[in-house]
Amino acid sequence: MTDFTHGALYGGGIITVIMTLVALALWGERKMAARMQSRLGPTLVGPFGLLQPVADVLKLLQKEDIVPDEADRVLFNLAPPLGAIGALAVAAVVPFSASIIGADLDAGVLYLLAIGALGVLPVFIAGWGSNNKFALLGAMRAIAQSVSYEVPLVLAALVPVILTGTMKVSAIVEYQAQHHWLIAWPFFLGVPAFVLFMLAMLAESNRIPFDIPEAESELVAGITTEYTGMKFALFYMAEYLHTLIASAVAAALFLGGWDGPFAPGLHWMAAKTLGLFAFVYWVRWTLLRFRSDQLMALCWRWLVPTGVALVLGAALWVVFVG
Amino acid sequence: MTFDPGFTAVALVMIVSALFVVRARHLIHAALWLGVTLLATAVLYAQLNAPFLAGVQVLTYVGGLLTLMIFGVMVTRRHEGLDAAAESDGKDRGFIFATALFVILAVVTWTSAPVIASPAKVATTAELARALLDEYLIAFEALSLLLLAAIVGAVVLVRRRDAVPGAAADTPALPATPEVNP
Repeated sequence: MTDFTHGALYGGGIITVIMTLVALALWGERKMAARMQSRLGPTLVGPFGLLQPVADVLKLLQKEDIVPDEADRVLFNLAPPLGAIGALAVAAVVPFSASIIGADLDAGVLYLLAIGALGVLPVFIAGWGSNNKFALLGAMRAIAQSVSYEVPLVLAALVPVILTGTMKVSAIVEYQAQHHWLIAWPFFLGVPAFVLFMLAMLAESNRIPFDIPEAESELVAGITTEYTGMKFALFYMAEYLHTLIASAVAAALFLGGWDGPFAPGLHWMAAKTLGLFAFVYWVRWTLLRFRSDQLMALCWRWLVPTGVALVLGAALWVVFVG
Repeated sequence: MTFDPGFTAVALVMIVSALFVVRARHLIHAALWLGVTLLATAVLYAQLNAPFLAGVQVLTYVGGLLTLMIFGVMVTRRHEGLDAAAESDGKDRGFIFATALFVILAVVTWTSAPVIASPAKVATTAELARALLDEYLIAFEALSLLLLAAIVGAVVLVRRRDAVPGAAADTPALPATPEVNP
């Protein structure tokens, strides 16, 4: 049973750290967005408004928990926890440092792609279970988007796999530590693959400019229309979790993970992850939302062909140069 | 044969969820139960020391196929509220065929090679890749060709629907959509 105890303790620790980070990220995002719009953001609760997330959670806890009469009760209640679990499950294979890694699976990249592919199910269950036309429209958009962007995501993730010759996430980071970060060399493969991965990841986690399933100005609030209180909060949190963990994955696959001079590996990994995370929010507060058809055109006309070309290029590179 | 609680639990989940798939009254419920069955299959693969197969199972079947099925239900059914009833005719025939298949598979499994005693050797992804793209390359490529043929066939069937007289009578009456591009 020691394995089990170890796993439970490790998982509990990682989840606690990530959840705390998400609460801080909420505050950070609001501050950053406020600065970008010449506002101050939260200032009243605690020093620099740092306790604002706590106040938010307390407020959400007190809200009435409403389930619509005509909703599919089981599915409606199942969706929010499933969303958060799906986002957290990916963290199992992320190497936070050379020694802090939950399960160093031989097919780690495959695992995280597979769990990521499950992410659309809670969204769909929520949309269908709500029995609300806006929620259903949101769910349909989410599925179309997820099915499409799954392709460039997988293609982009294949590039580091081909270049390093392994699907083990820790081995990919190890390779980069010994040779060079994949984004640095071969940069003509690494940089486009990284950009492709980030774009597809943004689309998968439904962030602006790809937040069409929610699209509050068109669909009320999309799939979250009928949700109140903590259930809504779970969706909201799952989105942040997804972005945070996907940033960690991108940092591990392309930016050398824990590798870096002068500081312990964990610090480097945290810096890279949070840097990417902040970048995602910078994009979110800068760009507008795509239209549904533009989103599909971008994926199938540009991202997928680019992805195929990158995979081919990586294979040729390995055969003839590397 | 020893009792394995982990395997028993997964097998029970698979059987019960598979029953729910065929007995569910809503198509969407049936599809979601199918997701449970497929995930349990992936867990079974993982228990059998085949993590790669488990990952591929989740990625293609749950992530791809199931999502496409749900998408198909949503775009082809007129959804008024939660109503997407799962209609099926020929339940008796289905029952007979399923039972026959089960008996055949059970007999074959029972009479074929004995169970491997120790846990099977864990094949790494690299070994699997070598086997697929080196030793069994011809079979692997032939399979992909077969899939391509199936895709082309599906496209042909869909495009030819109007040309077959009488075929339209069998399909449920869809609201007449004006031809955008005749």
